[in-house]
Amino acid sequence: MNANVYLPALARIAGIEEETRGARAIKTFRIEFPEGGGFDHECGQCAMLSLFGKGEVMISIASAPAVKEYKQFSIMKSGRVTTALHDLDVGDVIGIRGPYGNQFPLDQWKGRNLIFVGGGVGLAPIWPVIQTAVANADDFGSITVFYGARSSSDIMYKADFEELARKAIVQLSVDGAEDGWKGYTGFVPANLMDKAPSPDNAIAITCGPPIMIKFVIQNLQKLGFADEQIYTTIENKMKCGVGKCGRCNVGKDYVCVKGPVYSWAELKTLPQEY
Amino acid sequence: MVAIEDIRSRAKELLEGGMVRAVLGFRRSSAGLLAEPTFVVASEDVASLVWDATCVHNLALYLVNEKKRQKAERTPDTRPLAIIAKGCDSRAINVLLQENHVAREEVVILGVSCEGGGVVDTRKLADALRGKEAASAVCDDTGKVKVATASGEVTFPAADVLADRCLECTIAYPSVSDTMFGEKVDERGFTARFAAVKSIAAMSEQERSAFWDGHFERCIRCYACRAVCPMCYCDECVVDSTSFIVSPMTTAEEKANRIRWIQRSTTPADNAMYHMVRAMHLAGRCIDCAECERVCPVNIPLRLLNTSLEQEALEMFEYTPGMDPAQPSLISSFRDDDPNDFIR
Amino acid sequence: METILKKERLSEWVAQIGARATVFAPAFADGIWNFCAVAADTKVEFDHGNTVRPAKGFVFPQREVLYRFRQESGKAPELMETLPAAAPTVVFGVRPCDGRAMVRNDKVFTCGFNDPYYQARRDQVVFVGLACSEPPSQNCFCLSVGGSPHSEDGLDVLMTELDGRYHVKAITAKGREIVEGAAALLDKAQAADGKAAAKAHADADKHPQRALATMEKVAAGLKEHFDSPKWDELARACIGCGACTYLCPSCHCFDINDEITSNVPLTGERVRTWDNCQFPDFTMHSSGHNPRHDTGARLRQRVSHKLLYFVENHNIQQCTGCGRCISHCPVGIDIVRVATEVSGQ
Repeated sequence: MNANVYLPALARIAGIEEETRGARAIKTFRIEFPEGGGFDHECGQCAMLSLFGKGEVMISIASAPAVKEYKQFSIMKSGRVTTALHDLDVGDVIGIRGPYGNQFPLDQWKGRNLIFVGGGVGLAPIWPVIQTAVANADDFGSITVFYGARSSSDIMYKADFEELARKAIVQLSVDGAEDGWKGYTGFVPANLMDKAPSPDNAIAITCGPPIMIKFVIQNLQKLGFADEQIYTTIENKMKCGVGKCGRCNVGKDYVCVKGPVYSWAELKTLPQEY
Repeated sequence: MVAIEDIRSRAKELLEGGMVRAVLGFRRSSAGLLAEPTFVVASEDVASLVWDATCVHNLALYLVNEKKRQKAERTPDTRPLAIIAKGCDSRAINVLLQENHVAREEVVILGVSCEGGGVVDTRKLADALRGKEAASAVCDDTGKVKVATASGEVTFPAADVLADRCLECTIAYPSVSDTMFGEKVDERGFTARFAAVKSIAAMSEQERSAFWDGHFERCIRCYACRAVCPMCYCDECVVDSTSFIVSPMTTAEEKANRIRWIQRSTTPADNAMYHMVRAMHLAGRCIDCAECERVCPVNIPLRLLNTSLEQEALEMFEYTPGMDPAQPSLISSFRDDDPNDFIR
Repeated sequence: METILKKERLSEWVAQIGARATVFAPAFADGIWNFCAVAADTKVEFDHGNTVRPAKGFVFPQREVLYRFRQESGKAPELMETLPAAAPTVVFGVRPCDGRAMVRNDKVFTCGFNDPYYQARRDQVVFVGLACSEPPSQNCFCLSVGGSPHSEDGLDVLMTELDGRYHVKAITAKGREIVEGAAALLDKAQAADGKAAAKAHADADKHPQRALATMEKVAAGLKEHFDSPKWDELARACIGCGACTYLCPSCHCFDINDEITSNVPLTGERVRTWDNCQFPDFTMHSSGHNPRHDTGARLRQRVSHKLLYFVENHNIQQCTGCGRCISHCPVGIDIVRVATEVSGQ
């Protein structure tokens, strides 16, 4: 990494996948560093992407740490920088600095059943954990992935889910009724209650819109999950990524450094300012 | 002289009768000499209300802020808010009424005449006291200001310690009120209106430019001037990084395409741009409460900008803002008898 | 190292340092006290209470260019790092509260990830403190937050006014350098001078100040009463400006934005500017969701950051009791009263 923490490295967009369309479209960007550049990361960490003239945006790294050749970012169009990113083409060069933040404690979860609960673009931060877990399936018990989107056309990583279904239990849902939909119809927290996974020897990892996370956690607690068995990753506005600018500060923590990954037991001790 | 007991007893009646949700007035502050705004909700707390030359704030600001607060509440108390208003403050309320920002029935105006006095300027007072701290400041009938300090009471002529806006004020009593305290005093005999701005106008263009460059250069863009101004109520301001009217329907493009007219950087150009934009948006609306100038931590004479435009409005269009909520606004009206032929 | 400087030779000392470094000293201009650059022939006198703007700007300026960028269309961007080429700077008349704030700023900017811009400036600046003989403001409360009118923390030199002279104590290596460099002007302090300085300090401690409960009690009270309805009550008059934090010697939050100077080719600067937790856009997400959506939550953040969160992380309060945020609040919001009322201490 650069000695100057604010100075990004330059990296090339090697691939762009259109995940979903519409006003809040999601695209997945594959970023490649020049020979000898780049950095290693852990599951759950983020990186600051730069578009010069527009600004920076902190995005979680969606590719698994084992993938060294590139990094993947799934980005929903939302503000100034993300909208401009969506206008880029393969071959364009952007800035990137990182990795930032802590990680999911996968090594502590060995031998346990993993239950992932994602909604919308919130699948991206937990995707590297899913990928790493299935690649090392022998280290874990059963792996279940709940994922919900507004409609079937809003489901991201569609092609990957077919592959994933061979290695893990996949529970897909869409919010509203659709002809020909074979999965669950309803919100993610409801699908979770419907399938009612056992808390025994399990760890639940959730990410999605704040309101979904709230109800998922409530429902996990109803199912008997202890606070230490529930993990999530939180998002706040960030500018520096290195624990100084104060934007992401929640209680004593700077989320960019101490987070974004928290167990519910830890998160409960912080003010609900995220 | 206005007796504070009269204001307190009216406040008590309003609260006990449940006619208002709060009485917005002034109380002593732990922060220093100046009174501070207070929302009295319990009738037994009316005793905390004070009235003297330290009641500088223009409380009309809170009609705007409370509106935003109420919008965010699930079950807002929709009873009116009682507000203590000096002459200048009442003109601010009139502008808010004129611009349909608040409705007349949403507010109970306890108008207070400054009679022959006004409010203190703490910087002038600090100069006059040469470092001694003032514990209280009260105007008497003759416009003199009695200031108590640890080493005794000192009396100053109004011109030495009253705010410039008070010295230049010609309508020191409420233009609108439900109950009025004190007498209308028309002969105040301090300074001529626009005295301060006329002295600036007498400078050459280069001198004026240098004068303002020097002042704007110090600006730290804390936006206290904007935040304290009752007329600066927009949800979307050119200096903010974002518009505060983002809804689930707001598209990414709308957010992304927002033009940054003014950078956050405190460069002389950006600072000047900010102050000029603010001043232009106050033309025909500023009622000269001079709160912007009072709250500026780095002492930029912002009142001069606004009174300059106020003077233009008066001299070019015979317009004085805040006199009547039914009057058409300066910028959006046209008169057949406009004194300027270029407009007719 | 302790020395004595005759008051009438202060300007001479300043001028001597001015030959090698940029010197700032408090000056009264446009109705306020501020650190102003000292011209060669300026007579320097210490007659100030405290400056309106704190000393933090010398190490953390309100605007800092992080780097410049340039991009020809269809080509990769080029970045030009712009680390400040900070010139040696000596700041006179720094009050001990501002000195202590520097210790806090060091924790933020140099712990964990080192901030090279801050570091470059910090390395080049010498803070010459001036002990307070009496509280410069009626809102001073340094004694309640672990400081004192003569605290040496964060200062390189501490000057104490005695009868007709200054007791000048070098605290750091940087401080010793400027004191030793003026051997002709500064006499070695005698035992009696040291005693006189100690007495001046003891006398200064006796002046009444605003009072706040102990660090532990305030922090515990703020933590316990996080959900107190008092936050909303106390913040109801808050107008949401940034005077309190911009004038704070230890507030360090910032924003980073791109400022474009040309579209084709794309050229511009990535710029860091002070930012402010009291502004609503500070925490607003692009979705419009705002974790601290009202003035109550934002007042709680400012006060808790100073008196609770920083204590949890560093075991010292971030607030050094200068009282600027109280004196300059347009509506009298008073951190001492707020912390006292909410924490119940």
